[in-house]
Amino acid sequence: MSGTIKDTTGGTIDDTAHGVTGQGRGSGAGAGGRQRSARPDRAAWGFLLPFVALFLFTFVLPIGYAIYESLLKPIRSGPLGLGAAHIGFAGLSNYTLALKQQDFLDSFGRVLLFAVVQIPVMLLLSTVLALVLDTLSSRWASFLRAAYFLPYGVPGVIASILWGFLYVPGVSPILDLLGRVGLHPDFLGYNSVLWSVANVVIWEFAGYNMLVIIAQLKAIPQELYEAARIDGANAWQTALRVKLPLARPALVLTGVFSIIGTLQLFAEPLVLKPLTSTITTSYTPNLSAYNEAFANNNIYLAAAESVILALVASVLSFGFLSLVNRKGRSER
Amino acid sequence: METSRPTRRSLLRWGTGAAAALTAAPALTACGQAVGASRTTKQAPTRPGHKVKLVFWTWVPMQKTVDLWNRTHPDIQVDLQIIPANVLGGYQKMYSALTAGDAPDLAQVEYYELPAFMLVNGLTDLSAYGADALRGSYVPWQWNQGVFGGRVYTVPQASGPMGLFYRADLFAEWGIDVPTTWAEFEQAARVVRARGDGARLCAFAPTQPAWFAAMCWQHGARWVRTEGDTWIIDMNDDLSHEVADFWAKLIRDDLVIVEPDMSSAWYAQLQTGRIVAWVGPQWGDALLRGNAPNTSGKWRVAPLPQWKAGENASANWGGSSTAILQGSRHPREALQFAHWVNTDRQAIDLNVAAGYGWPAAADAFRGSALDKPDPFFGGQRYNDVFAASDRAVDTSWKWSPTSDADFGHLQNDFGAAVAGQGGLVSSLADAQKRAVQDLLAKGLKARSAR
Repeated sequence: MSGTIKDTTGGTIDDTAHGVTGQGRGSGAGAGGRQRSARPDRAAWGFLLPFVALFLFTFVLPIGYAIYESLLKPIRSGPLGLGAAHIGFAGLSNYTLALKQQDFLDSFGRVLLFAVVQIPVMLLLSTVLALVLDTLSSRWASFLRAAYFLPYGVPGVIASILWGFLYVPGVSPILDLLGRVGLHPDFLGYNSVLWSVANVVIWEFAGYNMLVIIAQLKAIPQELYEAARIDGANAWQTALRVKLPLARPALVLTGVFSIIGTLQLFAEPLVLKPLTSTITTSYTPNLSAYNEAFANNNIYLAAAESVILALVASVLSFGFLSLVNRKGRSER
Repeated sequence: METSRPTRRSLLRWGTGAAAALTAAPALTACGQAVGASRTTKQAPTRPGHKVKLVFWTWVPMQKTVDLWNRTHPDIQVDLQIIPANVLGGYQKMYSALTAGDAPDLAQVEYYELPAFMLVNGLTDLSAYGADALRGSYVPWQWNQGVFGGRVYTVPQASGPMGLFYRADLFAEWGIDVPTTWAEFEQAARVVRARGDGARLCAFAPTQPAWFAAMCWQHGARWVRTEGDTWIIDMNDDLSHEVADFWAKLIRDDLVIVEPDMSSAWYAQLQTGRIVAWVGPQWGDALLRGNAPNTSGKWRVAPLPQWKAGENASANWGGSSTAILQGSRHPREALQFAHWVNTDRQAIDLNVAAGYGWPAAADAFRGSALDKPDPFFGGQRYNDVFAASDRAVDTSWKWSPTSDADFGHLQNDFGAAVAGQGGLVSSLADAQKRAVQDLLAKGLKARSAR
């Protein structure tokens, strides 16, 4: 087809518009190249439009609205404040109020402690699983991969309900069995419930993170393994010296996701809350904001708490990224 | 339903709302905007031959009652919409609807939440539509829950007068007399622990501050009062301390099981006889019946134990009203329905079957579906006990406009206390301090009583 077109139009190319030749023939004249860079840009924006529109409406706009609401407060008058009331500018008073609440500050301490313990444990587990599955024969590997990944397909709320039943004495078969050998652990106790939540989160996300790491391992060229084998490296050394350093980008990625996810911890403690009195209404920063907004009906304070949470999450995520990047550079 | 299928109209409204928010944001134009309900109630003219449609939000399955109304009142058709219960999503939905100016005509609102609805101007002043004339049809203390500044804001629906559910068979086996005072209650708890082979008299639920409030209510505490323009919070008083001390002692001596009530573990223990009593509300009968079917015929109900022998102080746990939310275009018809649904004898019987609680209508009990011997309670006319309890509830108890948050604080503090971090008594002091802070944060005047 292209041959006939060339033949028939060959003589008239100079008469037709530059644009057509520029578009039709790939490389060549400077003029054509410039046009090429201008036009696809517009097309790219066209393709991006649905994303940008959704991004603006579901991300930028709500954040802007939250910041705006965090700067407001109700001003009341009349007997017992039940008379007329209007919404006025609050300055930063919602922020100072949030930061003065000990419960809210404690909730940050709690999720940070959670992050320091849970994220390393989970990522270690994911990495070990990924490395083991990477060496297994393909039939078993794909079955186990699917099996480990399966919990990620269970919504967090359902996972928490499932685990909740396993934590409650009198209902849990695990506690029943442990009771028979004389052990009576309290999974929902004051000091243990945080780790019971961590267990649910690990169960949910270890398989997912494993899959991200496996994907990275699959992208490593086979030549590197061959070279390692020729140099006399055994499986253990290959895993430690070749695979792990090359899987680093995946580990950084899952690390950042886990930090953000941990700070936003919400569904698991909320679902487990009715089972135990040790999960408070401000157990995590997100729960605290939720409680202010929906139990206390104070959306302005809730907005301020949410903004603070978003700030802390970005500081920690970018801090982690710059830390590992700097470390990566100095190692090289 | 409402949440799963947004209509074109609601989507358009959402779109314009979002656009308005976008343009408003930099200029802070919301300053001066009213708090809460964005549409106020106004009676629309009714045309003959034109049906009035009312929307009613509740979490009690009252479809049969509403069907009866719709059959007998062809001109006023009520559309019942089941919503999530109270703080589990119902109130959130109502507050959002009020702010959006799209609230239903009628909604179920619990007594403790009414002041919070007042705070967002969420309730229609029913005195303007002749509600004062209906006063005599209701139990006085329940009617008063909806009166603010001398105006009537809601129609009472049902309550939860309290009593003592107990296992008559096990009490007889262990030689326990039904306790009439709290001192005897403690003695009974000791006997159960000694003879009960691992059983305990009852549970203490740190997750149930509304229950604890009822215990303090019975003893004569008044957690909330007003002086001029100021809300005064008085949870840290001597009477509440006594209640807290009493239960703290039962916990310390291992006489009660500390766990959330109405949980699967709690139901399992009721079923297996590990828990043999419950200081509970009238609507708890359905919970026992439904979750401990094996124990049918073995339960009885006795009046609440007293702090002083011979007294007759009672308490209430729970209670709802049928409110006419701000923004209705048919308040007169809505009030007519609200009064009918809570006083009509047939309606009450259908409501009772739906498990709505203890009727708020005066004299509704005699001859109703509640006034019968019950096989689950060994043929006892157990509701006689609750009828007496209802009459003895002190009428002066008030709730604050931040009850939900108050309950949250108590729950947090109790949770820490039973885990050995602080005590029940110091929980009251802490919760009181926080309750005052919440009120101040809402722009109200408030202080601690002591």
